[in-house]
Amino acid sequence: MARMSIAEALRQAIREEMRRDERVFCIGEDIGIEGGFGGAFTVTLGLSDEFGHERILDTPVSETAIAGVAIGAALAGMRPIADVQYGDFLFCMMDQLANQAAKLRYMSGGQVSVPLVMRAPVGATARGAQHAQSLEAFFCHIPGLKVVAPATAYDAKGLLKSAVRDDNPVIVFEHKLLYGSKGPRSERGALSPIGEVPEEEYLVPIGQGIVRREGKDVTIVAKLLMMYRALAAADILAEQGIEAEVIDPRTLVPLDKELILASVRKTGRLVIAEEDNLTGGWAAEIAAIVADEAFIWLDAPIKRVSAPDVPPPFAPLLEREYVPNEEKIVAAVLSLF
Amino acid sequence: MAVDIIVPPLSQTMDSVLLVEWLKAVGDEVVKGEPLFVIETDKAHLEIEAPASGILQEVLAQAGSEVAVRSTIGVIASADEARPVSPRPEPAPEAARPASRAATAARHPAATGPGGQLLPAERQQRIFASPRARRLAQQEGVPLDEVQATGPQQMIVERDIRAYLAQRKAVPKATPVARRVAEAAGLDLATLAPLPAARITRADVEAALAAREAAAPAGVQWVDLSPTRRTIACRMAESQQAAAEVTLTRQADATELVRLREQILAELSEEDTRPTYTDFLVLIVARQLKRHPHLNAITDGERIGLSEEVHVAVAVDTERGLMAPVLRNADKKGLLQLARERAELVRRALDGIITPEELSGGTFTITNLGSLGVDAFTPIINPPQAAILGVGRICPAPAVHEGQLCIRQLMHLSLTFDHRVVDGAPAARFLGDVVQWIEKPHLIWL
Amino acid sequence: MTQADTSLSPGTEAAELPDPERLLHMYRTMVLIRRHEERVNELYLQGKIPSTLHLYIGQEAVATGVCANLRPDDTVLSTHRPHGHALAKGMEPRKLIAELFARATGCCRAKGGSMHVGDVSVGMLPAIAIVGANVPIAAGVALAAKMQKTDRVAVCFFGDGAANEGAWHEGLNVAAIWDLPVIFVCENNLYAASTPVSLAFKIENIADRAAGYGMPGVVVDGNDVLAVYRASRQAIERARRGGGPTLIECKTYRLCGHSRSDPRTYRSREEEAEWQKRDPIPRFRQWLLAEQRFTAEQLDKVDQEVEETIEEAIAIASSSPEPQVAELYTGVFKDLS
Repeated sequence: MARMSIAEALRQAIREEMRRDERVFCIGEDIGIEGGFGGAFTVTLGLSDEFGHERILDTPVSETAIAGVAIGAALAGMRPIADVQYGDFLFCMMDQLANQAAKLRYMSGGQVSVPLVMRAPVGATARGAQHAQSLEAFFCHIPGLKVVAPATAYDAKGLLKSAVRDDNPVIVFEHKLLYGSKGPRSERGALSPIGEVPEEEYLVPIGQGIVRREGKDVTIVAKLLMMYRALAAADILAEQGIEAEVIDPRTLVPLDKELILASVRKTGRLVIAEEDNLTGGWAAEIAAIVADEAFIWLDAPIKRVSAPDVPPPFAPLLEREYVPNEEKIVAAVLSLF
Repeated sequence: MAVDIIVPPLSQTMDSVLLVEWLKAVGDEVVKGEPLFVIETDKAHLEIEAPASGILQEVLAQAGSEVAVRSTIGVIASADEARPVSPRPEPAPEAARPASRAATAARHPAATGPGGQLLPAERQQRIFASPRARRLAQQEGVPLDEVQATGPQQMIVERDIRAYLAQRKAVPKATPVARRVAEAAGLDLATLAPLPAARITRADVEAALAAREAAAPAGVQWVDLSPTRRTIACRMAESQQAAAEVTLTRQADATELVRLREQILAELSEEDTRPTYTDFLVLIVARQLKRHPHLNAITDGERIGLSEEVHVAVAVDTERGLMAPVLRNADKKGLLQLARERAELVRRALDGIITPEELSGGTFTITNLGSLGVDAFTPIINPPQAAILGVGRICPAPAVHEGQLCIRQLMHLSLTFDHRVVDGAPAARFLGDVVQWIEKPHLIWL
Repeated sequence: MTQADTSLSPGTEAAELPDPERLLHMYRTMVLIRRHEERVNELYLQGKIPSTLHLYIGQEAVATGVCANLRPDDTVLSTHRPHGHALAKGMEPRKLIAELFARATGCCRAKGGSMHVGDVSVGMLPAIAIVGANVPIAAGVALAAKMQKTDRVAVCFFGDGAANEGAWHEGLNVAAIWDLPVIFVCENNLYAASTPVSLAFKIENIADRAAGYGMPGVVVDGNDVLAVYRASRQAIERARRGGGPTLIECKTYRLCGHSRSDPRTYRSREEEAEWQKRDPIPRFRQWLLAEQRFTAEQLDKVDQEVEETIEEAIAIASSSPEPQVAELYTGVFKDLS
């Protein structure tokens, strides 16, 4: 076992996959520039030393081209790992992801597939409204895209490797406060989820969630940063005699629905915590699934703890109010008893 | 080897009983078979014998508390043996997780409905219950309208159903209307606790309230209804609520019967039990019931059960209230045997040692208020029976006999029958036949 | 090109001409496309074809002239007007027509439709109907060819409208900076739907934009199949040698409406008549006869064969089954490899 940050785990995953399969390459902005950052959050730092600039391919500031080129290369037999510096920029390439990557397989009658990985950092980190959004729901809504959201170093490596090997387009959402990056790219308020990562080869299968904490009284579903806040909330709740079960879905599409349903059948209560805005969010989808498929097991309304329906603010004071925290999760849970 | 002390199932209809007293203290030596504790059922006080010999190691329910049938209320251990504390008896459990609920209520007073309050009027139309609670309620046959909501938004949640189930044995059932009326008036339904099989109705509650009103002015000392009293209250009310009761009253000339009794008494030895008029009436009624099977019937509201056998219950006034011990196969027994058995049953009822079995299974009831000077009254059927005969006093009165005005020994018989089971004419014929045998007792031999 | 030009471009040197077999094939291809479009238009009017059709009538010389230089392992990326590209790249008419008929035997199993026809077995990717979106994807396909160290090329067809899409600019730029083997073929038919190029471009030739990205830009008569053939041949050979992309602008005209609901009230009948005189098929036929390459009987025989091929394809498509309803749910994702 080695202990490492998520940024290091992602880098190791990319390195191993590029060594394993020469079809794999990275494409993005500032990812392999000498003296650069290794992408916005250091994930590709140093990889061009080993693989050269042909396989760690720096692009102009052209998000549509990044996506389009990655799609074209994937159609023609390559395994691109593309990234955007901030998830918000996915909107710039939305046509390529939503209309092209997601649909080419289906509308070609299965003739082609698009084995593309698109990495995107999400989460509010004092950068204002356009470098802060959590976009998972947009992509979960599009048939044809797989969506993963690793919150630990172990999952980051294992899921990214699975994503590279997947024959479908996979969007990998990473949280800016969880990278554990050091030096000039470290984030204020970041957690440092340094985790154990096996030395030997392993994969985390796409489509499997995990119970981060067991409990019998309420199910809290949360991913990325919210997963840690849900765990903190569970600690507070435990002091008050409420045992919360915290589920980290890890993969959002295809969702490990049964894990959530089984937990709700046990606890009878569901709270979903997410950093995205409330309306039409991912939490709403989880709520709908549970209301639909586990209704008779519910002992209380389903609660969403989401960001309010406003853009991410800049002022740290406002941002603290915007991003759901453990107190809000605790309050939501308590309202169910 | 430690042995649990179990509350025996004494009656098919009782789920809980009152633990009246322990006859031994913790630490006392106990011998198997000797009386260990006393319980009060809906019908009687009973001494329960020790199930084993040893030391009364532990007592899990205190005197004066209701305990569930088949629950463990104590432990007998051999002298050299210790044993950890057993679980609490069943009726005791509090609702789950009081700690977290209290914490929640303190922080979110609005979110948690105030416990014992009536729901607001607009909520009364509809029961708000969580899907999980509904599922469990359906599974366990719990009527949601009887469940207290403590969940968010005053919703019935799973713990409420569980609490209801835990309390179901101890808490009486009641119709929603009865419950609301009682709650509105601040009347504790437990004080009306009826037979577990029966539901408290609005009439019960109103009767209880009326009684409370009437009793209220003077320096009243309130006493909770004993199980016996509750049984009576319940059965009487149930009878009036459910049955379509009609009372026929008829005068009988008992002159010949009085004469016959005096003749018989003159022949009896010292050991023989002296038959009362009640005994004569039991004999006459029992034999007439064989000829009028529709009066020797029971009903559950859906069906009529015609009994092959005749078991006549006889009302007895006791300190704890009305009881009706049953004379089994009364139609097959002679006068002296009936008299002897009835005397024994009455004694046991008065002494409070009569068993539930001796108080159940009657097919017809005779209640005699004649000794108290009553001429006629409207007796109330003892459910599930279909009829009851009220017997008034026998006293000399002017009467026309064989065309002559003269003084005769007259009495009134009041037959209350359930019109759901039997019609007026057959009931009248039964009453007529009884009257005929009273007036011409020699016909009994035919 | 204000004069009606009914001859083929002069100065064609014998060395640059296709061999006779290829010439006949090109003639056959042009007639095939024309008759296909005419027949499916009739069938559409008879209600045999759901949805709309964007017909290629008048532009046959572009697809034919370009694709005559392509190998099966080269890739064509097409648009919402793809029938001509598909047939020119070698797709069997029966697969194409069955797709238009929404039959299970269609090239995309009836999941694509007219705007998404494609057959990867002949190097025709499913057509991309978002204007300009195929441009960066074509760059990606070319990038793969380059990374895989092959001399395959990608050809990206698009209309004049696409040249004002952001994706177009991003795609041309990365193709240029990475010297990708891709040929961008602009079919300037003078109208983006109903909008004339004069309202959408300040410049005379769209090909002039090539200079802005540092690649060659060529303007050709798009109704002259030999001119298109020569220009694309140069560009393709240059791309195969690693010389990078070329933008070829083919000036042409659709001799039909934009789609089946188009009454063509935005352009004059005089203008249409002018272009009718330049119809690329009679021009090529006359040239073939004038140059004594083939006799009229030989060409008539080709016409007849095309007729039979199309009628046979229509008969097969008409008798083919519709897709199973269960097909709706399949083919979104490809299983893990």
